[in-house]
Amino acid sequence: MGHAASPSGFRYIGAKRRTKEDPRFVTGRGRYAADVALPGLKHVALVASPHASARIVSIRTDAARALRGIHYVLTGEEFCATTDSLPIGVDAPKVRRWSLAHERVRYAGEWVAAVVADSRALAEDAAELVEVEYEPLPPILDPEQAMVDGSPLVHPAYGSNVILHRNFVWGPVDDQFAAADHQLEFRAVWSRSATVPIETFAVVGQWNPGTEILDIWASIQMPKFPDQTANALRLPGNAVRVHYDIDVGGSYGVKRGLKHTVLVGYLAKRLGMPVRLVEDRLENMRGGDMHGPDRLFDMKVAFDRDGTIRALKIRAVDNVGAYAGRAPFQLGKPVSAICGPYLIPAIAYEPVAVLTNKTPQEAVRGFGQAPTNFALERTMDRVAQFLNMDRVALRKTNLIRKEQFPYTIPSGSTYDSGDYHTVLDKALAAIDYPALQRRRDAARQAGRLAGIGIATCLEPSGGNSAFEPLLNSKNQTTTWMDSCLVRVDLSGSITGIMGTSSSGQGHETLVSTVIGEILERDPMDIRVVHADSLNALPSNSPVGSRMAIMLGGAAAGAARKIKDALIAIAAHNFECAKEDIAYRDGNASLKGVPEKVLTWGQLVEIAHRKFHAMPPDIEPGLQAKFVWEVPTGGGLPTPDGRIQIYPCYAFEAHIVYVEIDPATAAPTIKQYICGHDCGVMINPDIVHGMTYGGIAHGIGAALYEKFTYDDNGQLTSGTFMDYLIPSALEVPPIRIVDHCTPSPLTTFGQKGSGEAGYLGAPAAVANAVNDALALLGVELNELPLSHLAIFETLCKTTLNKRAPNKRPT
Amino acid sequence: MKAPPFEYVRATSVEEACALLGQYGDGAKVLAGGQNLVPMMAFRLLHPSWLIDINEIPALKFVAVETDVVRMGACARQCDIQRDDAIAARAPLLRQALSFVGHAQTRNRGTVGGSLAHADPSAELPLVAQVLGASLVLRAASSTRTLPASSFFSGPMMTELRPDECLEQIHWPVWRDRKTGSSFNEISRRHGDFAIVAAAAQIAVDDDDRCTRAAFGVGGAGPMPVAFPDLAQRLVGCRLGEDELDDVAWDAAAALEPDSDIHATAAYRRHLAGVLVTRVLQSAYEAAKAVP
Repeated sequence: MGHAASPSGFRYIGAKRRTKEDPRFVTGRGRYAADVALPGLKHVALVASPHASARIVSIRTDAARALRGIHYVLTGEEFCATTDSLPIGVDAPKVRRWSLAHERVRYAGEWVAAVVADSRALAEDAAELVEVEYEPLPPILDPEQAMVDGSPLVHPAYGSNVILHRNFVWGPVDDQFAAADHQLEFRAVWSRSATVPIETFAVVGQWNPGTEILDIWASIQMPKFPDQTANALRLPGNAVRVHYDIDVGGSYGVKRGLKHTVLVGYLAKRLGMPVRLVEDRLENMRGGDMHGPDRLFDMKVAFDRDGTIRALKIRAVDNVGAYAGRAPFQLGKPVSAICGPYLIPAIAYEPVAVLTNKTPQEAVRGFGQAPTNFALERTMDRVAQFLNMDRVALRKTNLIRKEQFPYTIPSGSTYDSGDYHTVLDKALAAIDYPALQRRRDAARQAGRLAGIGIATCLEPSGGNSAFEPLLNSKNQTTTWMDSCLVRVDLSGSITGIMGTSSSGQGHETLVSTVIGEILERDPMDIRVVHADSLNALPSNSPVGSRMAIMLGGAAAGAARKIKDALIAIAAHNFECAKEDIAYRDGNASLKGVPEKVLTWGQLVEIAHRKFHAMPPDIEPGLQAKFVWEVPTGGGLPTPDGRIQIYPCYAFEAHIVYVEIDPATAAPTIKQYICGHDCGVMINPDIVHGMTYGGIAHGIGAALYEKFTYDDNGQLTSGTFMDYLIPSALEVPPIRIVDHCTPSPLTTFGQKGSGEAGYLGAPAAVANAVNDALALLGVELNELPLSHLAIFETLCKTTLNKRAPNKRPT
Repeated sequence: MKAPPFEYVRATSVEEACALLGQYGDGAKVLAGGQNLVPMMAFRLLHPSWLIDINEIPALKFVAVETDVVRMGACARQCDIQRDDAIAARAPLLRQALSFVGHAQTRNRGTVGGSLAHADPSAELPLVAQVLGASLVLRAASSTRTLPASSFFSGPMMTELRPDECLEQIHWPVWRDRKTGSSFNEISRRHGDFAIVAAAAQIAVDDDDRCTRAAFGVGGAGPMPVAFPDLAQRLVGCRLGEDELDDVAWDAAAALEPDSDIHATAAYRRHLAGVLVTRVLQSAYEAAKAVP
């Protein structure tokens, strides 16, 4: 296969090269948790609560147990007495959660009992026979109502529905508001959506009473998963072995099936049988606890008549649902980029997380940054509209300039590098912005609604979860390392070993490319494997757009140690200084004497077999580990809540053109371009693939996707008939324009890109729709911008009212 | 999402299928393409005790294109009907509608009869059956009867099929008027979803562009798709300008009683019905005029 050379002086990094893992996936040879077929495997089905809030009066399981092929029916009474509750991120220990409800259910779909049977179908048959008597209680669904005293409490023992409420003030906010020429305020609403991978959560557990090890195969993407599973099951950490070589069929944050795994682990140990739980779609959508942010923003902005933004006041109220794991932290990550890519000297931020009787949230791509970017970008457009100022000019006035990096924002994070004006200009040039404006204006002349949307947004990357100590003073976690082990075997083959699972990010390509780059060996010949959790070096898993930086940096560090060892071996044998060795393609020669060379094979043989030829300070064999802490990480917040969170900041400039049929309110995306700068790309195809997918995901959040609930708290979009993800027919051709501003903090200058596209697409699409609506004097600030929402907004105008007697709208 | 237990039998003839239906009646369901039935069983919304598979009955897959009628067996695949140029020449609405039915993958398996018997109020083929006035041949062990589409559909997901009856054939009338045009259109959130509202029209004109015959209907805006023969009659004898079309379309919209759901309110559905009927009438009329 042909490989285009890297443009930037690297040999493999940045070159357009085939990925290592994709052939396995496109030929159907992936191995997923549901493919783990153990002899005697039993299957779990769940009894779910039909009520959003109720007291459990009684559970009768005899009819279910009487069915043939049923092995066990587990209820919360037994389970909660013998396992520990799941961890909670914020300081609210009385908000306790187990895999199964006990005494009370707090959302429709919550698991009440688990049935174990010879087949999943039998387990479902028996689940229908479990008789649960409920005493329904009034549900609370609206977060603002839930904050009012006297509202029903989701967790009465906790005493309030507000699980997190902080007031941060960074800089002279009130002074700036007082001094500004203008201010305006509005509300922006980001509705509950998620990533909804085709693979639901799946887990297989097997307890071996001989070794006393619980083996887990799971479609998992989260840090500390083995430890937290062991804790909940009251087992030592080394009694849980998670097999990270399982392919994960999509995640982007949501594959955090701790409650599933603790349940399966408990059943496997209790019954002495291997047990499997594969969520069906409805279990996944309703009770899989995988929903994303559900957030309203009250935005206040102070600005001058020349467009300079002086200060922001942001109040963000998030409806986290019935329980809280890490979800409230999704209000914390945006602190890392609270002013977006703009020079805004003073910011007040009031994050509020509220419990309600909706499905609990989990992490979703961007971890709260995409909603925040949406609110920021709507703010920029509203300021431009207020001042009757060009939106591009307004952004250029406020974007941080290239020469200002590294740039420290009011909330304490320092942005590493960037060239925002250039990326925006490249995107404008690539789409031919003047021509696009003419196209829009011509469409308007022809009677169509047409709008251009622009969004300039940041992707914080490097996965340093310093928002934990920021939002929970009892949590002093500052370590977010990742690691890699590189081995060269006697045959000279190289293996990179990573300590977590992959969910489509292309880690095998990443690690092999980086090792190949350092050792100057062909990445196609480098194997990358996933250790199990008892063999693995520490990893914090692919969260927060971190693996290109963290795993890439760790692989490079380990490969450098190998390279150093090879050079030391050569220097020892040539009786010269290490500096006199020339290393090329894996061979080491004496500088200036090219015939004096030890080849890769010879060096490897010395390391493995010829101890007599080894330098005294080098271990025999050829392997090296490297454990790396996040660059800039390790700090705790100041008393006023300033903290360096993520180390690296990628930038994206979206320009999108939308037309809306004024008669039907149907929106169509006609043109899409994204200027993108994530520093040095290790593999451009993977970065572009992530970005295309991120934009499609963002289009979903902007126009289609929403977990809707009725007044009784029933999820009314629990299948793909009603929860609408955009298909290839809704996503337009997308053009990506690359730019490279290397990060000074990372091994090769790379930044993260796992959330690329998603962090700006919802804002850009919303701005485009609003540009179309603005001519009619209306706006729409609540996502998704569904056909119905657009129609009802158009109904506020004179449009479609030509014949009111005949148009009963 | 696993179906509850059921018995399965593959019938090899219409007679056998009808005999089985006679035997098991209410507890039995006919399995054609399975694109609706199987998911509903997986959701445990339906609990048939017997599934009678009619996919291997050749007599239910025939297609006969005749001068005045296109006849087909109930188990004719949607993809085959969509690809059939002879059908497209005689009853073009079928092809036009089928491009909105699900996706290529579901049309490969889905059948015409299955869609009609399922009777989703938003489905495309029941709407075409109403607009064209299709006849449905219902077969039981000892009797056969033919119902017009207007009598076949009785409510959302409800038809006049008796428990012992199997939909055997569908007869689609062919308009022999030389200058005939038709049009199908719908609004859905995404391509391939059930329509929020769908509209279909067929119009014939004389050489002076005067409408000689018209039919149209709306789906998704009531318990079942409906045709508007009386309103269509108002178009006959006229050259159809914007005003005529608009009047008829919005009178039709006003007569609808749509429901609200998470995708559309009743008001939006009624509005879309007016817009879409105007559009399909206009486009069918233009197509008819364009016939040489």
